[in-house]
Amino acid sequence: MKILVPVKRVVDYNVKVRVKTDGSDVDIASAKMSMNPFDEIAIEEAVRLKEAGVASEVIAVSAGVAACQDTLRTALALGADRAILIETEVEMQPLSVAKLLAAICAKELPQLVLCGKQAIDDDASQTGQMLAALMHWPQATFASKVAVGEGARQALVTREVDGGQETVDVLLPAVVTTDLRLNEPRYATLPNIMKAKRKQLDRVTPDELGVDITPRLKTLKVAEPPKRAAGVKVADVAELVEKLKSAGVIA
Amino acid sequence: MFLSTEHQQVADMTRRFADQVIRPEAERLDREEAFAGEIYQQMAQNGLFGITVPEAYGGAGLDCLAYSIVMEELSRGYASVADQCGLVELFGTMLCKYGTEAQKAQWIGPLIRAELRGAYCITEAGAGSDVSGIKTTATKDGGGWKLTGSKLWIHNAPVADVAFVLARTDPQAGKRGMSIFIVDCNKAGVTRGPKEHKLGQRSSQVGELNFDNVAVPADGLLGVEGRGFHMMMSVLEKGRVGIGALAVGIIQAALEASIAQAKLRQQFGHAIAEFQAIQFLLADMAKDAEAARLLVRSAAMKMDAGLDAAMAASMAKCFAGDAAVAQASNAVQIFGGSGFIRGYEVERLYRDAKITQIYEGTNQIQRVIIARKLLE
Repeated sequence: MKILVPVKRVVDYNVKVRVKTDGSDVDIASAKMSMNPFDEIAIEEAVRLKEAGVASEVIAVSAGVAACQDTLRTALALGADRAILIETEVEMQPLSVAKLLAAICAKELPQLVLCGKQAIDDDASQTGQMLAALMHWPQATFASKVAVGEGARQALVTREVDGGQETVDVLLPAVVTTDLRLNEPRYATLPNIMKAKRKQLDRVTPDELGVDITPRLKTLKVAEPPKRAAGVKVADVAELVEKLKSAGVIA
Repeated sequence: MFLSTEHQQVADMTRRFADQVIRPEAERLDREEAFAGEIYQQMAQNGLFGITVPEAYGGAGLDCLAYSIVMEELSRGYASVADQCGLVELFGTMLCKYGTEAQKAQWIGPLIRAELRGAYCITEAGAGSDVSGIKTTATKDGGGWKLTGSKLWIHNAPVADVAFVLARTDPQAGKRGMSIFIVDCNKAGVTRGPKEHKLGQRSSQVGELNFDNVAVPADGLLGVEGRGFHMMMSVLEKGRVGIGALAVGIIQAALEASIAQAKLRQQFGHAIAEFQAIQFLLADMAKDAEAARLLVRSAAMKMDAGLDAAMAASMAKCFAGDAAVAQASNAVQIFGGSGFIRGYEVERLYRDAKITQIYEGTNQIQRVIIARKLLE
C-alpha cells in the first residue's frame, strides 16, 4: 500500500507574526519556516504504518515555492521514502492544492492520502476534503486513530468530533486528515537527516500536471486582531456581579 | 548566520529535543548531582552522539560545523548534557583517527549507543595545563602492559566502563614517550575516588580514577607507542570548538531567560525592559552570543575545510568562555535577588559558565596559543 502525505511549509509555530504595513498579508520575509505540525503527525502515522508492514511506500508532496524542498527534506528525514515538489511562485489556495494533489494521485495511485486537518497559517481546513471530492474518494477527517484493515481494502478511523469520538469505516483509497491526538511525532534523528539528502526528490510544475492554479479567492485585507483591553481586579463576588450587570453582560 | 538546509534541520531537531527532553530536567539534575543516564539513552536513539563519526561506524557522519550546532543547542538545554556529547565525540574522533579496525568495532558503537560510558584520563595532581608533567606509567609486561598512576578530575570517572588513559611508556623521552591506552574499568587494580561536588555542571560525574598495576592487553594500546601526547593534542581543536559552542549555549539560555524576565518584571510602574540600563545589558548579551557563535562556527568551518584551525579554535573557546561567565553574571544582575536563588535558571547558568574558562585548556593557555601563533 502506497501512502501519499501532503506537507505544507508554514511559519514556525513559535514565530509571532506581524501584518505587513499595507495590510495585504502577513509578513513572512524573515520568519522561520517549518512543516505544518498537523502534517508532521500525518508523516509520523504514515511512517508507523510502514514500520508495521501495512504500507510499502510513503511519498511526501508539497506545492509552492522552491524553498518547500526544505520541508520535504524534513519529511524524508522523518522517514518518507521519496518526495515530490510541485514548484510554483503562484499563491497557493486550498482548491488549487487539492487539484494538484488529485493530479499526483492519478499518477501515483496511493491507497491512502494522509494529511494534516488544517495548516496553522490560514487554518482553512479544506484541502483534504476538496481532494476527496475531486477524487470521488471517501474521507475521514480529524482522525485520532487509524486502523487499516486486512489487504488494505478498508480502514477504521476514529474521528474527533464535538462531544466525543466517532468511528467510521471507509473504503480505500481514501483521504484521512490528522488531528492532534493521533500520535506524537518522532525527532528527525541526525543519521536520518544525512540519509534524507540522498533520497529521491522529484520536481514538477502545475503546467506539467495540466492543472490551472489561477487563484479563485482574493484577499481584501489582513489585520491584527484587536488588542485586549486591560482588565480590572474586583474585591469580591458582589462587585463582580455589579460590574457584569453594568457592562450589560448579565441581566 | 545562514545555515544550509541540513544544518538548519540539525539545529531545529536538537533545539526541540533540548526543549522537550533536557531543559525540563536541568534543575533537578543540578540539584541532585544526578547522572543524566535516561537522557543519554534518548540522545543515543536520536543520533546525538558521535556527530562527526562516519555512518559506517554508527555515527551521524556530519561535519564539525554540525557538531558545534549540536553542542550549542544541547548546552542551551543543559551544559552538563552537552559535555557528555563532547566527551563521546572525543572518543569517536580518537578511535576513527588512530584505532585499528578491531578497536573501532569494539568501542565506537557501544560508546555512541550509550551502552558504555567512557572516561578521558589526562589530568593528574601535578599535571594540569602542563600535560608533560604526568606520572602515570605503563611498562611492557609479556605481550601487554602494566599501568600504574592516578588521574584527577576525570569526567565520568564514577560511572566509567572504559578509560582512555595517557601514560608514560618511555620516561626518558618526554612528550615523545607517552602513549594512550584503552582500559577496561572493571579490571583488577582500577579503583575510583569519591564523586567530586562541584560549583557548576553538577550532573557531570567527576572524580579520581586510580590504576594500580592494571594489566592491559597489547591491543589496549591506541595508535603508535610514544605518540600519545601528539594524538591527544590533535583532537584538542575539535574539543575547543565543542566547549566554545557549549559556552555559546549558556549565553543564549541566559539571554532568553533575561528577555523574558525583563518583559515580566515590573518596577516603578514599568516593565524593567523599558529601562535603558536593562536594554544595554540585553544588547551586550546578544552581541556576545552572536560574536562567540560566529567565532566557534568559523573555527569549525576551518576544520571542515582542512585548514589549520589551532588559533581559530583557541580564540573561539577563550572568547566564548569569558563571554559566558560575563553574560551569565549580567543575567543574574537582571534578575536581581531572585537570580541569586537556587532553582532559578540564571543562577545555575552562572555556576555552569565558570568551568568553560578552565577545562579543555584554560583561557590563559588559549591566549598563549594565540600569541604564539601571532609571533611565529
